[in-house]
Amino acid sequence: METRIGVYICHCGTNIAGKVNVDEVREYASHLKNVVVARNYMFMCSEPGQEMIIKDIKEYGLNRIVVAACTETLHGHTFREVAKKGGLNPYLVQMVSIREFDSWVTEDKVEATEKAKSLIRAGVYRVNYHTPVETTTYPVDSNVLIVGAGIAGITAALVLADAGKHVYLVERQGFIGGNMAKFDKTFPTLDCASCILTPKMSAVKNNPNITLFTYSEVEKIDGFVGNFDVTIRKKPRYVREDLCIGCLSCIENCVYKEPRFMSEFDEGIGKRKPVYVSFPQAIPLVPVIDPETCIQFRTGKCVQTCLKGCPTKAIDFSMKEEIVKVKVGAVIAATGFKVFDATRDTKYGFGRYPNIYTTIQMERMLNSAGPTGGEIRLQDGSIPKEVAIINCVGSRNENFNAYCSRVCCMIGLKHAHMLRDSIGANVTIFYTDIRANGKGYEEFYRKVMLEGVNFVRGEVASIIPSENNRLTIVFEDTLLSRVRKKDVDMVILNVGLEPHDDWEDVRKVLNLTCTKEGWLMEKHPKLAPVTSLSDGRFIAGAAQFPKDIPDTVAQAEAAAAEAMSLIDRGFVESEPNVIRIDEERCSGCRMCISVCPFSAITYNEEKNIAEVNTGLCKGCGACAAVCPSKAISQNNFTDEELYAEIMGVLRE
Amino acid sequence: MINPTEVLQSFEGRMKDFIDGENFRKCIQCGICGGSCPFGFYTDFTPRRMITATRAELVNEIIESNAPWLCTSCNLCTSRCPSRIPITDALIPVLRELAMNYSHLPDELGQALTNIHRMGNSFGESNRKRAKWSEGLGFDVKILKKGEHVDYLFIVDDFGSFDLRAQEITRSVARLFKMLGIDFGILGERERSIGDHVRLAGEFGLFEEIARSNINEFRNYSFENIVTLDPHAYNSLKNEYRRYGFQSNVMHYTQILSERLQDLMKLMHPLNYTVTYHDPCYLGRKNGIYDEPRKIIESIPGIKFVEMYRNRENSYCCGGGGGGIWYDSYIRKFVKTRPAEERVIEAGKTGANVLLVSCPIDAIMFEDAVKVTGLEGRLRVMDISELILESIGKGV
Ligand SMILES: Cc1cc2nc3c(=O)[nH]c(=O)nc-3n(C[C@H](O)[C@H](O)[C@H](O)COP(=O)(O)OP(=O)(O)OC[C@H]3O[C@@H](n4cnc5c(N)ncnc54)[C@H](O)[C@@H]3O)c2cc1C
Ligand code: SF4
Ligand code: SF4
Ligand code: SF4
Ligand code: SF4
Repeated sequence: METRIGVYICHCGTNIAGKVNVDEVREYASHLKNVVVARNYMFMCSEPGQEMIIKDIKEYGLNRIVVAACTETLHGHTFREVAKKGGLNPYLVQMVSIREFDSWVTEDKVEATEKAKSLIRAGVYRVNYHTPVETTTYPVDSNVLIVGAGIAGITAALVLADAGKHVYLVERQGFIGGNMAKFDKTFPTLDCASCILTPKMSAVKNNPNITLFTYSEVEKIDGFVGNFDVTIRKKPRYVREDLCIGCLSCIENCVYKEPRFMSEFDEGIGKRKPVYVSFPQAIPLVPVIDPETCIQFRTGKCVQTCLKGCPTKAIDFSMKEEIVKVKVGAVIAATGFKVFDATRDTKYGFGRYPNIYTTIQMERMLNSAGPTGGEIRLQDGSIPKEVAIINCVGSRNENFNAYCSRVCCMIGLKHAHMLRDSIGANVTIFYTDIRANGKGYEEFYRKVMLEGVNFVRGEVASIIPSENNRLTIVFEDTLLSRVRKKDVDMVILNVGLEPHDDWEDVRKVLNLTCTKEGWLMEKHPKLAPVTSLSDGRFIAGAAQFPKDIPDTVAQAEAAAAEAMSLIDRGFVESEPNVIRIDEERCSGCRMCISVCPFSAITYNEEKNIAEVNTGLCKGCGACAAVCPSKAISQNNFTDEELYAEIMGVLRE
Repeated sequence: MINPTEVLQSFEGRMKDFIDGENFRKCIQCGICGGSCPFGFYTDFTPRRMITATRAELVNEIIESNAPWLCTSCNLCTSRCPSRIPITDALIPVLRELAMNYSHLPDELGQALTNIHRMGNSFGESNRKRAKWSEGLGFDVKILKKGEHVDYLFIVDDFGSFDLRAQEITRSVARLFKMLGIDFGILGERERSIGDHVRLAGEFGLFEEIARSNINEFRNYSFENIVTLDPHAYNSLKNEYRRYGFQSNVMHYTQILSERLQDLMKLMHPLNYTVTYHDPCYLGRKNGIYDEPRKIIESIPGIKFVEMYRNRENSYCCGGGGGGIWYDSYIRKFVKTRPAEERVIEAGKTGANVLLVSCPIDAIMFEDAVKVTGLEGRLRVMDISELILESIGKGV
């Protein structure tokens, strides 16, 4: 059949037409071999632009389309749909970028016009060799995996479960709730954190559509969008979830009469026993035994009063790690954050001098269910009269994290308010800029000012212990332009937020990308904030970047909606650019298998050939490039197509 | 009258010449520099306020003030600055350079710089006296001849050569080298200032001249390493001379002693002291050498080692750096409690009876401060090398 090509040149307003002489280019393109019609238009992607192409396909009997405009990523899909509407196979379209590759990056108008000509020539040469590509569809599994059960993971799980999807919620710690479970009150409304969080936590536990895996981690995710095979590793907690009734008598009866070991949940200011729950309303209300501190594990010779006290004999020292496999269609990563380790900023003496706390420790201290029962005390038991809160610790600092952690200004204001409220302390906040830019946040800032909290514009430069257990802080009061000293009883370091230390490992397991700091990457910072760069995987909450609870919850709901949109569509289309292996040519050398990042190729021993699973193939083309026998060809990237394109660019 | 626009332009132009120099535009005005500065209470412009003034186009006011000269180059501000602004190596020296262009500088500083230019040392002494410290040691210190080889070329720099107190330290270091059988030699009358204070004082031209001529001089000898007495010399040779093509390995004497600790330990005998240690700015904060001196101290038998609150990267400053030691009387005009005084009081509070140092300027500054603060008889200032020698001498 005769090849009949239509070339469509977009002005993109003045984006392209401001640099490229589009009339000249159209005239040029119309004389290229096999080109039947060439047109230029203000906005080719607009409705009239699309209609124009569809009309031409019919009128001129076009069977190949070249669109010279923005990029394949931006509008490739749009114009393939146009071809489809016009009755053509969508892969008979070739996009040519004369905006990103040309008008935006070329100074000279004549050069830009010439460059547009050669790029279009390449597209026209190439499109001659295009062949129709058929894609297949696969069904989407309706289950969803959610990694991390902080407020983000919990919210997404409940939204999906309410919509009738089954959720596997995997939490690394023994108990769910994440960081929010540690707080007493939440800014700016000061509602009690447990009052709003614990109902959601028990809803998770009671919802039949949610399978909760605590003390567990995702080991591996195989498969592809819509059809993931997930391997989950359940660490042994040595208390059986199926038997435990949550009476906590084991904790009561442990041979350690008093809590002796540093409680992770209390951020180092509280103690726990070897057998513990994070807090009395924990979900699941099944204790964990920590083998590092439990006498039975350390010496093998404990009288096991925990077991004796347990009415259902739920304690099981022989529990082993368990591997569970589940199938899901979509994954949501909601792994959250950790706080900046304040010992790294040595000028503040955290960990060396007494009465210096971080904000997350303060949350525990302020919490009426926390280690001090909500009492604010110095290490000698007295009540602090003078408290300094130092903002931006570890944030906005190129020696640590250059970014602003976004929530800490508000945390400092919250703590200042609560300290004044509970013990009437004189509180000073040392800040560089107060960032209170959420709904009701500026109002909260003003309220706290009105309450009599002091504000000093200037970061504290050093802290040194002084007489009577006090701390001398030195700072430049930048508004007064004077260096000052002040003695205080307590210092609170307003630490920033950071990705977890093992972000790199977790990222790999979940097949996600991260920023250089380790925050999860979204597909587009504005237009696709909860979609990741890998199909079928979504992100939510502080794992993407520091954010407050309102933003976290909004993202979690958005991620749930995205997952649902995938599931409810019910199918995914296979990758068009998959490879084909020519059985005749394949020598069975298996080079392709070693380079495939998606494990899509397997070896057929009987036939001594490599075989591709087109469901797994992502069309990266790595195998096609290494195959020494030229047995592999890739849809839309055949040798003929590529050579023609290169010839097109090079020919004058 | 200084023209504000002109001097602002010179300032901006000069800052461009330094690595990260333009970072001053990123200052977030946090004030950590001012709060960290040993002269923060006394200066007319903290580094932060200097930057504010550049934004207000008032560089002229800075250079007419005391601020450029109230800096001991301690590097506290720079090491803590969240915007990584090279305050100590660029901002302050550039302002000093501009101030000097308009003849705003302490008189004593002018004298010291003239001495270096004319005589090759800040003391204005004849260079023939360079090796005078080595007399009467009981052994000869090798003075290198052209073409001669040693393992270690020992650079003493000005204070260790000419200051009476610092000479004692030079002698103890030389004694220890001798005991350890280290093959070392000095340049004697051919040694000249290394010039780190000249650079920090903003005399960039003179510094370059000094550096190039020293590098040329070094080419006449054959050595494996350079070892310095003075951390400031160490810093210049290690970090600044590289720019002019200098490549030799540079060490501070504490690094050598710490490498040879096993041998030293065989010689040492118990001493009954409680000691604390001051990290010199240019050994510690600037060059990250914190552990070697501590390793040495902790290996001296009988010694109880206590830290001051401000130690390692947060160590305070003796106030003598960046040329400060040359214009003490200018500083006294503005500064109520000098950094050295504050520091010896801090050292006294630890209960230590010996304040250890590893920089000749520290010894000079602190010994003076001990007298002023009435700590005499209660706190001795010693160089690490001196304490080792005492420990060795005890049992002999
Ligand atoms: C001191 C402090 C006070 C705050 N106060 C307020 C406030 O008053 N109001 C407000 O709006 N915001 C506040 N915030 C912010 C709030 O903490 C966050 O917005 C919120 O916790 C984010 O929730 P998240 O679920 O994304 O992350 P997280 O709470 O961190 O939860 C993440 C969960 O994922 C789990 N996890 C991590 N990695 C893995 C893995 N690999 N596998 C399985 N599970 C994993 C974690 O164990 C955790 O349970 C405060 C923050 C701090 C530090
Ligand atoms: S085995 Fe002993 S130490 Fe361990 S939890 Fe039980 S009683 Fe406590
Ligand atoms: S939110 Fe406030 S305290 Fe936190 S890093 Fe940003 S400016 Fe600093
Ligand atoms: S420490 Fe750095 S950022 Fe902060 S005020 Fe000083 S120069 Fe500016
Ligand atoms: S280097 Fe030291 S003395 Fe100089 S400005 Fe910085 S903190 Fe002050």
